[in-house]
Amino acid sequence: MSLNRRAAILPAALLIIAACGGPGATQAPTQGPTQAATDAPTTAPTGATADCTVAVSWNNFQQPRWAAHDQPGIKDTVEAAGGTYIDADADLSNEQQITDVDTLISRGADVLILLAQDTTAILPAVDTANQEGIPIIAYDRLIEDPEVLYITFDNVAVGRAEAEAILEAVPEGNYVLIKGDPGDPNASTFLPQGWDEAGLKAKVDAGEITILNMSGDNWPEDAGTYTAAWATETAQDNMETIIDRAVAEDNTIDAILAENDSTAIGVVAALEAKSYGFPPLSGQDGDPANLNNVALGKQYVDVWKNARELGKAAGAAALALCEGQDMASLTMEEGLVDPSVAPDSLTAQDFETPGGNTVKSFILKPTPITRENLDLVLEGGWVTKDQLCQGVDTASAEAPEACK
Amino acid sequence: MTNLADAPPQAVSAPPRQRRSFRDLVLQTEINFRLFGMLVALAVILLVFHVWSGGTFLRPENMLSLAVQASGIAVISTGMVLVIVSRNIDLSVGSIVGIVAMTYAVLMTDVMPGLLGMAGDFPFRWLIALGLGMGLGLAVGALQGFIIAYIGVPSFIVTLGGLLSIRGAIWYFSRGAAVSGLDEDFQLIGGGAEGSIGGTATWVVAVLGSAAILALLYYNRRQRRRYGFPLRPIWAETLLASLGVLFVWGLAWVANRNFWPRGLAEAYARANNIPIPEGGLLIPAGLPYPVVIVIAVALLMTWIATRRRFGRYVYAYGGNPEAAELAGINTRWTIMKTFMLIGILCAIAGAIAAARLNGATLDIGVSYELYVIAAAVVGGTSFAGGIGTIPGAVLGAFVMQAIAYGLSYVGVNSPGQNVVAGIVLILAVGFDAWNRRRGT
Repeated sequence: MSLNRRAAILPAALLIIAACGGPGATQAPTQGPTQAATDAPTTAPTGATADCTVAVSWNNFQQPRWAAHDQPGIKDTVEAAGGTYIDADADLSNEQQITDVDTLISRGADVLILLAQDTTAILPAVDTANQEGIPIIAYDRLIEDPEVLYITFDNVAVGRAEAEAILEAVPEGNYVLIKGDPGDPNASTFLPQGWDEAGLKAKVDAGEITILNMSGDNWPEDAGTYTAAWATETAQDNMETIIDRAVAEDNTIDAILAENDSTAIGVVAALEAKSYGFPPLSGQDGDPANLNNVALGKQYVDVWKNARELGKAAGAAALALCEGQDMASLTMEEGLVDPSVAPDSLTAQDFETPGGNTVKSFILKPTPITRENLDLVLEGGWVTKDQLCQGVDTASAEAPEACK
Repeated sequence: MTNLADAPPQAVSAPPRQRRSFRDLVLQTEINFRLFGMLVALAVILLVFHVWSGGTFLRPENMLSLAVQASGIAVISTGMVLVIVSRNIDLSVGSIVGIVAMTYAVLMTDVMPGLLGMAGDFPFRWLIALGLGMGLGLAVGALQGFIIAYIGVPSFIVTLGGLLSIRGAIWYFSRGAAVSGLDEDFQLIGGGAEGSIGGTATWVVAVLGSAAILALLYYNRRQRRRYGFPLRPIWAETLLASLGVLFVWGLAWVANRNFWPRGLAEAYARANNIPIPEGGLLIPAGLPYPVVIVIAVALLMTWIATRRRFGRYVYAYGGNPEAAELAGINTRWTIMKTFMLIGILCAIAGAIAAARLNGATLDIGVSYELYVIAAAVVGGTSFAGGIGTIPGAVLGAFVMQAIAYGLSYVGVNSPGQNVVAGIVLILAVGFDAWNRRRGT
């Protein structure tokens, strides 16, 4: 191989790597154990739903939660009502997902549930489905089309729950903000918006809270440190640097708002490496390792999105749409999803998308988990007691109730 | 000529004695001009951040954080030099780091206590896990190396495949979840206050280090005289010796000015009934284990590259593959060995990463390949083959991390850090190209 040709190959390699790492890397890893669903309703098949085919197009199975919790939630709900469940996994590719949707439609889909790889790249597939008169549920991630039903957890509420818990524990002092990937609207917009709704900005303006890691003067974009690709190692390096700087300037870190669990793990590792102790720290996703940290007292709160309940809501909505119910008046059966996560109104509500569309939506509520209510994640079968209480001294009086 | 590139080229052509410019004086010391330039650049970078941060940057704690953060990349970059010198590339290093880190975590939390019946108190359990992980790194490297060297698939393709498929395998390996809770002994590999060798050991390292420098300079001079090679002037020898010794003692001093965090020191004092003096108990932490590992790996790899037959074959092949083949070098085996070596180095870096995290996540090691290649290239390794040094790559890793750490310290976010890192990479290679065309 000639020298010139080889020299030309490296940039190409970097492009390929960047392309491969791109879409998947900008999502927060949301990990969970792999367990079969056991809590699905087991009603007998009834009339119209019996011949309903619900098709799901997943953008990926790399993140464990989809296969572990969301898929069983939808599948069991649909099959319990006598419907047929089919799905496809697009492996993080926009093109593959469009092909998948075509295939699912030709396999006889009556309703489509789409976990879109991209909110706009999916639109050709949405058009195809609209032409066929197949209703679409945008599952967990928004699709910019006025015809869809949007079923998700409230990401702003996740941020609000994180900040409420931490602000209650530490009403004033020095805060560190650890944000996720700068290209993810959850990291840059929705979660910080929730923090502000909980009163973070007001307290900063009132001088009760100081943010130790401001990168400029603008709020919220310069507040806190971003973590490229939500990577744990990056969060760890950044947190170590922030601790070094705080120590050098004689500041103490009183609380840390981390946007999700993969960054919170990095923060805990940095605190341990620096033997700093464990100031109250937030996270979200309900990853087993983080819930374990909550039990160990290393993480204060973990905001949990019960994906099983989200799956149930989507499955039931799909069946209702199958029966020909109108999207605008769609109502969720009371008690279908756990009341603690159910939306405020059980009838579909209007949701204004960032792209200017108005869609119908069910927005579920997240659950903040602290050491006081760890039993919730055990009861739901989300983690096993072994995972939750690994390394906890159960004999000690300080052990959380759930581990005793 | 290229296969001698890692030795100071001035050693081949004796410097003319009659001219007395500054450049000649520098040439007479036979200091590698490029390495020296990088040291200066590193110092300038650190100073700039010191001023930028309002004078809080240059503290021993910060320097050691920086060094620990660079350690994984630095370790792998020593192997990447040999891979790139022999005209190949390894894009799979990050994925190998990931799968080996996950192996350590799964072994210690699951397989060992379960399948193998080795409970947490099993003697040297962490060492067994480390051995198995390094075995895995070696095996993956050997497989890729075999396909590249003996079957003839371009290394770019093979390791790109490795990058993808190994990263995918990690998911199945861990059943998709983060794994945490490693052995306490294993965690020491990751550094931190307790993961450091301590004050006394650091001074011992300094004594041994300076003795080694003096002995090497003496031995080198004796050998040159014996074979009739030109000698360095005595003033140059003295300068080199003083600089080397000064550097070693400076490093030890910085490491020992890094004290245990107050809380940890007080807990230790209470546990051992030591009275806490006024102003706090100052226990020197010394060199963190990851930094010790980097130093050891760099020395060992330099020895392999410059003093072992294998290392010389690598440079010979990189300089001119056909000539090396015709000279009777078993080039395929040589190439395969470079990949085996980098596999082991990835396993060491994986141990540092897993120990620092006290566990493994699915994304551990992601994009390491880019930083490792950048470190090697900033350190003077050429994609044309045959050129590159191990100390250069290690310094390159520190330069890149100094920039990342410094920008992070003064509050510049990751997009800004990437912009600067990219520009530095291009500048460094541009400088090399310019320097080479100028003809030294």
